[in-house]
Amino acid sequence: MTTRRDVLGLAIGGTIGLAATRTLAQGAGQFAQSGLVGKLEGATLAETIPASFQEAPVLAELVRQGRLPPVAQRVPAEPLVIQPLHGIGRYGGTWRRAFIGPGDGENGNRLVASDKPLFWDLTGSKIAPAVARGWELSADGKTTTLFLRKGMKWSDGAPFTADDFMFWFEDLYGNKDVVPAPIPEMSAGGKPGRMVKVDETTIRFEFEAPHLLFPSMLAGDTLIGGGQAARQSGSGTFGCYAPAHYLRQFLPKYSSEAEANARARAAGFDNWVRMLKIRHNWALNPELPTLGPWRTTRPINTPTWAMERNPYYYAVDTAGNQLPYLDSVVMTLAENTEIVNLRAMAGEYDMQERHIDLAKLPVILENRDRGRYDVHLDLAFNGADTALHFNLNHTADPEIGRLLASADFRRALSLGIDREQLNETFWLGLATPGSAAPAESVPESPGPEWRKKWSVLDVAQANAMLDRLGLTRKDRDGYRLRTDNGQRIVIQMTVTKAFLDWPAHAQMIAQQWRRIGIFGDVRDQERALAFQRVLAGEHHIFVFGNTGSEQLFLYPHFVLPVDIGNGVLGVDLARWFASNGAIGTRPSDPAVLQTMEMFRSATTLDEPARNRLAQEIWKIVIDQQFSIGVCGQSPAFAGVRLVSRRMGNIPARVCIAQHCRTPASSHPTTWFFKA
Amino acid sequence: MIAFITRRLLLGVVTIFLISVLSFIIIQLPPGDFVDAYIAQLSSSGSQVSAAEAENLRQLYGLGEPFYVQYGKWLGRIITGDFGESMEWRRPVTEVIGDRLWLTLLLSFAALIVTWGLALPIGIFSAVRQYSFADYAFTLVGFIGIAVPNFLLALVIMYFAFVWFGASVGGLFSAEMALAPWSAAKVWDLIKHLPLPAIILALGGTAQLIRIMRANLLDELRRPYVVTARAKGLSEARTIIKYPVRAALNPFASNIAYLFPYLVSGSIIVSIVLGLPTVGPLLVKALVAQDMFLAGTIVLLLGVMTVIGTFISDLVLMWVDPRIRHQMD
Repeated sequence: MTTRRDVLGLAIGGTIGLAATRTLAQGAGQFAQSGLVGKLEGATLAETIPASFQEAPVLAELVRQGRLPPVAQRVPAEPLVIQPLHGIGRYGGTWRRAFIGPGDGENGNRLVASDKPLFWDLTGSKIAPAVARGWELSADGKTTTLFLRKGMKWSDGAPFTADDFMFWFEDLYGNKDVVPAPIPEMSAGGKPGRMVKVDETTIRFEFEAPHLLFPSMLAGDTLIGGGQAARQSGSGTFGCYAPAHYLRQFLPKYSSEAEANARARAAGFDNWVRMLKIRHNWALNPELPTLGPWRTTRPINTPTWAMERNPYYYAVDTAGNQLPYLDSVVMTLAENTEIVNLRAMAGEYDMQERHIDLAKLPVILENRDRGRYDVHLDLAFNGADTALHFNLNHTADPEIGRLLASADFRRALSLGIDREQLNETFWLGLATPGSAAPAESVPESPGPEWRKKWSVLDVAQANAMLDRLGLTRKDRDGYRLRTDNGQRIVIQMTVTKAFLDWPAHAQMIAQQWRRIGIFGDVRDQERALAFQRVLAGEHHIFVFGNTGSEQLFLYPHFVLPVDIGNGVLGVDLARWFASNGAIGTRPSDPAVLQTMEMFRSATTLDEPARNRLAQEIWKIVIDQQFSIGVCGQSPAFAGVRLVSRRMGNIPARVCIAQHCRTPASSHPTTWFFKA
Repeated sequence: MIAFITRRLLLGVVTIFLISVLSFIIIQLPPGDFVDAYIAQLSSSGSQVSAAEAENLRQLYGLGEPFYVQYGKWLGRIITGDFGESMEWRRPVTEVIGDRLWLTLLLSFAALIVTWGLALPIGIFSAVRQYSFADYAFTLVGFIGIAVPNFLLALVIMYFAFVWFGASVGGLFSAEMALAPWSAAKVWDLIKHLPLPAIILALGGTAQLIRIMRANLLDELRRPYVVTARAKGLSEARTIIKYPVRAALNPFASNIAYLFPYLVSGSIIVSIVLGLPTVGPLLVKALVAQDMFLAGTIVLLLGVMTVIGTFISDLVLMWVDPRIRHQMD
């Protein structure tokens, strides 16, 4: 394995020598010294609204033909003004990119994520305006007010107002057929909040208890944090606004149940709910009015997912040029991720970070000049690129369910993993092995001592713990036997090949578990199917990363079973939590209950207190090993960025994080093709 | 002869029927019925399906009824062209396959032309100039062609195409052309992308056909009628082309049966390696995703193609080979 690192050292060339690569690989998490990790930077927001607006030549042509109103009427009176990173860009061009199928919707969602009510600055730590020009949290923390932009319009030219928020609250969120269960984001102190229209451009969220976390939730990738996202369109809520003028036609409220269903059936859907959900997915429905910089022209379920500029987009640069600079985005379907990597190295994509394989870094570097691209490594802040999430509420097989619910069983499995071997094999030896806790630089980190807790190789201790659990009988191959029927204990690892080669990671872990007598059965499944199994609560262990967990309260589902949309840790527990006990299963494990209560109390705390709370939650989570961390803080999860040398305003390093909707927080609207 | 054709036709229909049963079994294979899978999918997208709705769906698809009733309902819908909806793509199965069918046919046709264009003349040449240097050379290349799995060949060729020529790899169009409407430039783009996959797809088959052609022709060349033809003073070219080659063509004709499904699914592994937007990878994906209507439809399509291919190859054999024709009378 040293050889591959040598290649890396050679490819990096003058930056670091061979010997240096060896030494640095002995420490952990040494990507930062590869010379490929730049300074965190990006476009910033400006205050002054330019005196006049300009537009892309393609739109100017449409205006000249009378098919589009002039730019001054399309851009809101108070647009978002962006100061591009290096300078004003040029209009035009197509951003070529890859996607891997209809399940890869986030690929495009993340490009247009400036359709969120609020967003983050380039460091991912400070809330920034987006669709809303501002927000205000009342002194008592019980109300959050959003100020919209006067004169803002949907991509079809219809006005975007507070009514679109109220439509969501009353007709979508308020309709049990559309959103079956209330979302935790919309309640404080266990009581549901409400939305009030103050005037055409002002919306107020009112809660009976302080909800200090709410502005962050509006900015985060949450069920309320608006725009087109997997969490919103799939299992989600479509919060917190929707194009009323377009979606009304699908709702029974504006006709009748029978009429809405008849309409759905005529269009080939089973019922109106199904039709509404498909029609409200911008990736599937090019007709849907949107707010993002680009809108779909060819849907995601065809071989090419194509987007073109939204002529009504709400942001301009400091010179008054309406953004985005790039006319269109064309994503071509790659049959598999190998093809994505190969084409990226041939320079066939203008910018690709999604589905790029870290293990191919040496070859990627070797082909930089031929493919005319630059390579940037963006390091993750979450703790585990690969994590083993336990189903804490597995009921189908009681014996397995009992084991999965046992902290010592989980700890033993974690102690049975040789993270160094995995690091060498899959991360070029450069990642940080250890627990699932976030990077020590993150305010929510419980501290460096928790990196190793239960997260180092100790076969003897693991075996002793498993013996103490009464799993002493073994079969001829040395695998431990069940206590109920004497069969071999088979722990299924549901895994999907998505961002990393997780099936291969799981295979290696299953091999390593032989030494502790545990048979790991790797079940490599297609992504959508794997998540379906998870939502049905059928899995034992789900192998994935823990992306987003560095912002515990915004994206908790890889840490605690509290999110109904993603049940990797036990979907029925999450249902119980989200419904305040109305549905689902009450956790029997006191540690789960305790962390849930701690999590729930976060809404009433200010930021410093929230950070302290998160640290305490992490300590329990790591001690209990709800999820086993393997290796992390590497660029493996969409952090190996190949950027065409023709592109301008590209940051040296971007904050890759779930809540930043990478790359959206670095404002792709300001990227452009140099002459 | 009419009787023979009728018999073959009837047999074909019976085979297609059996294939459809098999396809239906494949659709049924995953645990739970497909309404379960469908409900799981709906609930993962947040829709809740009421028990009544689920019951409606079950009735619509005839679930819970005996196998033959379910099969009958499925067949009934297929005959009206309703192959169901692909769960993954959220579009009718016919559209999803249709997207890829033409490119698949084009690619396979190109491969076919390359195969025959190379195999026929080389096979004839090797037989006529048996044990010459060229024959040995072709034999060597041929054996390598047969022995090397073509996905490996695909990887190797792809590597060199990339390293030496910077040739674009994977797919049938470059990214900027994929979306463009059909134009001269797009056709040119396609033509540029076509040779690599066509040649890779063709090579294995070519090698095989060369060997078959050579062996058959060698048999024929020793026949007394060839001596007679030569004794009559026919030119060498005419002697060979008119009689022994024609007799040696049989394997080409009987190969047609396998060409038809091949035209649709190509070589699945090669398509995956090269990232070709053909039906083959679609089948694999559908199976992985348990998108059973899509998978079942493709299996049915492949089966039907094989049957049609066999029937056509029978007809062609009868046409090229009078011995078969007369045997039947």
